[in-house]
Amino acid sequence: MEIGMLPISASKRGKLLAAGYTTLHSIATTSITHLATDIEVSESEALEILNFATRNSALERSSGSNTNVIQGGQTAWDMLNEERFSSSITTSCADLDNILGGGINCKEVTEIGGVPGIGKTQIGIQLAVNVQIPLDYGGLGGKAIYIDTEGSFMVERVLQIAEACIEDMSEYSHHFHKDNQAYGVKMHPNSILENIFYFRVCSYTEQIALVNYLDKFVTEHKDVKIIIIDSVTFHFRQDFEDMALRTRLLGEMSLKLMKLAKNFSLAVVMLNQVTTKHVEGSFQLTLALGDSWSHSCTNRIILYWNGDERHAYIDKSPSLKSASAPYSVTSRGIRNSTSSSKRIKMV
Amino acid sequence: MKREAQNLLQKVDEKSEKCTVGCPILDRNLNGGIPTKSITEVVGESGSGKTQICLQLVLSAQLPPSHGGLNGSSLYIYTEYPFPIRRLKQLSLSLLSSHPNHLLSSSDPLSRIILRGISSAENFVELLPDIELCLRYWKSRLLPIRVIVVDSIAALFRSEFGNCCFDLKRRSSLFFKISGGLKSLAERFGLVVVVTNQVVDFIEGNESVRIGNFSELCSSGRRVCPALGISWANCVNSRIFLSKDQTGIKITRFSSLVFAPHLPLSSSQFVITEKGLFGVENV
Repeated sequence: MEIGMLPISASKRGKLLAAGYTTLHSIATTSITHLATDIEVSESEALEILNFATRNSALERSSGSNTNVIQGGQTAWDMLNEERFSSSITTSCADLDNILGGGINCKEVTEIGGVPGIGKTQIGIQLAVNVQIPLDYGGLGGKAIYIDTEGSFMVERVLQIAEACIEDMSEYSHHFHKDNQAYGVKMHPNSILENIFYFRVCSYTEQIALVNYLDKFVTEHKDVKIIIIDSVTFHFRQDFEDMALRTRLLGEMSLKLMKLAKNFSLAVVMLNQVTTKHVEGSFQLTLALGDSWSHSCTNRIILYWNGDERHAYIDKSPSLKSASAPYSVTSRGIRNSTSSSKRIKMV
Repeated sequence: MKREAQNLLQKVDEKSEKCTVGCPILDRNLNGGIPTKSITEVVGESGSGKTQICLQLVLSAQLPPSHGGLNGSSLYIYTEYPFPIRRLKQLSLSLLSSHPNHLLSSSDPLSRIILRGISSAENFVELLPDIELCLRYWKSRLLPIRVIVVDSIAALFRSEFGNCCFDLKRRSSLFFKISGGLKSLAERFGLVVVVTNQVVDFIEGNESVRIGNFSELCSSGRRVCPALGISWANCVNSRIFLSKDQTGIKITRFSSLVFAPHLPLSSSQFVITEKGLFGVENV
């Protein structure tokens, strides 16, 4: 009996049979709430059983039985379940996290662009630090890869942000876990630095070679949870005699990055520059690398000045609403904007 | 070509080397001085002190690290003729008198500064491989080259590029070529690279994009913006704006940080005397 294949306790198996679930397929096609009520278990246990069932029923596709997934495919239901457990990396600015739905998402490629001095590198460094926030504090406890193409990465700034992050964490633990001594923060700024793998590339060939190498690197360092490229544009804006070559190279690179994000469940953040585009006689500000590049990322965030305040605007996203939020760059890193008129604007 | 990831901890030991600009007050706002391995732009109108600060930098670079220098020689690329050799001599005497025993070499500080004039942007691009050879040659000498100054980058581009799309694109890709080449050299040889730039008048009614900590930059009582546009702004890591305001014979000068990846907004007053360029403590 297929139910026998499920790694669950005998009593649960008995309940499944009693409720009429005789095949894996019948479990896989039901909903969590139905399953939970039918066999009288909690919803989370029902979800577990469901996951086992769907995973195992996908294995019997070759027999031609009523399977509804093709090789390597997944049902949307499975994806929804997976997404529930998918994680995001905070930016340390609550307003920004809000419009991002929690933070920068893993398994996605996010592009962040803006004028010089708006804070792109600052956000990059903040994310490289925040990805290391331990699970106890709501973080991912992962490591970061930082690819620097412009030389904007200053170690002293990373130390500053790392120290501020540790201070914030100990304040948090002081507030919420006053009685629990085990929550003492054991992190040291040096350990934060150790967990950022820094690469400096000086030409576009080095950049492409490095992206190709990342697959091997991440396989050997499974705890990397974010890859930041600062900036992805710089080396590609020089003279390319063959623009078609440039488009091809960029396309291949972005495909590799998307695969990395999906296969290893990590976040890829690409920082981009702005340029002016000649449109109908006037010049408009737009992200560099052209129109075809705008398809290379899942989400696109544009940073801009609104008076004296820095704002972030979600330009493109399959799941997030178009909105903008203010943020500020402080000596401790990216934080909420201090202005009194701080409101999230829905566009 | 694989690269081993440099864990940042190793980098911390190298620390971000900085070169003093010759004045502790200005150094303080820069958190130690001009950093290596990046391009710092000094922008200002003519007479604001750009060349002065560069001359002072190439002299201070010869000091040992204990005094804020890099024990290094410099390569000074100038595009506006003539090169102010007399002023450089005057400043070198001032350096020798204030640091009599600190210089590593006993020869004249002027022998540690290599000058090269160039006339066009393409000329500069062609020069980059020669610069690399020069750096390699000097690497084994007593005071290797640690500073490159380009004074000014704007002069290379102002005349021969028109305003049509094609020219602007061509100009823009030259920016990235030059900046990419300089950054690569800076990274591999641990150089301080300082590039000076001019300003253009800001025209009311034109759409302007704000870049950096200040919503507007003013000098001599009028609003200005750095030349060469956003494209060039994308090519530098840090930008310092020098302003000057003259009323009668009194000149007030300010040095402001427009953007830098490691520094907060700051502004400090400075003066230029025969001994050099010095910050003024806030009253």
